[in-house]
Amino acid sequence: MTESGSLAAQAIPEEDALRAHYYWFLGRLLAAPADDSVLAIASDLSGDDTELGQALGALSKVANALSPGDVKEEYHELFIGLGRGELLPFASYYLTGFLHEKPLAKLRADMGERGIARADDIKEPEDHIAALCEMMAGQIRGDFGAPVDLYDQRDFFAAHLASWAGRFFEDLEAAESARFYMPVGTIGRIFMKIETTAFEMVN
Amino acid sequence: MSKKPDTSIKRRDFLRAAGLGGAAGAAAMATGIGSAAAATPDRAADGGYRETAHVKKYYETARF
Repeated sequence: MTESGSLAAQAIPEEDALRAHYYWFLGRLLAAPADDSVLAIASDLSGDDTELGQALGALSKVANALSPGDVKEEYHELFIGLGRGELLPFASYYLTGFLHEKPLAKLRADMGERGIARADDIKEPEDHIAALCEMMAGQIRGDFGAPVDLYDQRDFFAAHLASWAGRFFEDLEAAESARFYMPVGTIGRIFMKIETTAFEMVN
Repeated sequence: MSKKPDTSIKRRDFLRAAGLGGAAGAAAMATGIGSAAAATPDRAADGGYRETAHVKKYYETARF
């Protein structure tokens, strides 16, 4: 736990590296309005004929059609607003109707045990969907220590994402302001289903 | 805690069939991954958005 941390990626199976990429990308898309670099990445995506692949294609299409200004405004309307946005992407909100509730307390305790800390200048509560996606990516890769095994990943997913993240992504897909973030919602919804099903195969 | 080999293969095949590896340009999705501890703040003038990752590794300090 006191290692200085290696920048070299630890060897993990390819399918898990891909899972980490999806979690990381979703985290980037939801943490802040898509900047030029994220839009460039989104614009270049193309998928195969799976449901997930089609959603990537949809994201690419809309990324090519909208300006960074459009996307920033959309992010504002969805998540910032005046006081609050259309959506509140926090576990506590989805599970209790309020922010800063037991789900957040549970998560903080779990983060402590797993050696995960909130970055210094982040002011939002940790149960934000972007932070949780980042935590999954980091645990899969071993960014907080050794790569976390599938059982512990499954436990974290079950405790902090499984009961609400799918619903959030559905809400994002259906949100009135959503154009760029609509396929983000689709990708998230499909990926959460994939994760749930794949974790059922861990025993 | 050992995973049964056939369960792992089943899971791997499922993830592949679900399309995880099927995206062109998807390697770029991982841009910036693993740099959580090294990222520096970058506030936009109007909204306080930041480029830093939300989380980092927690370093335990020695106690005397």
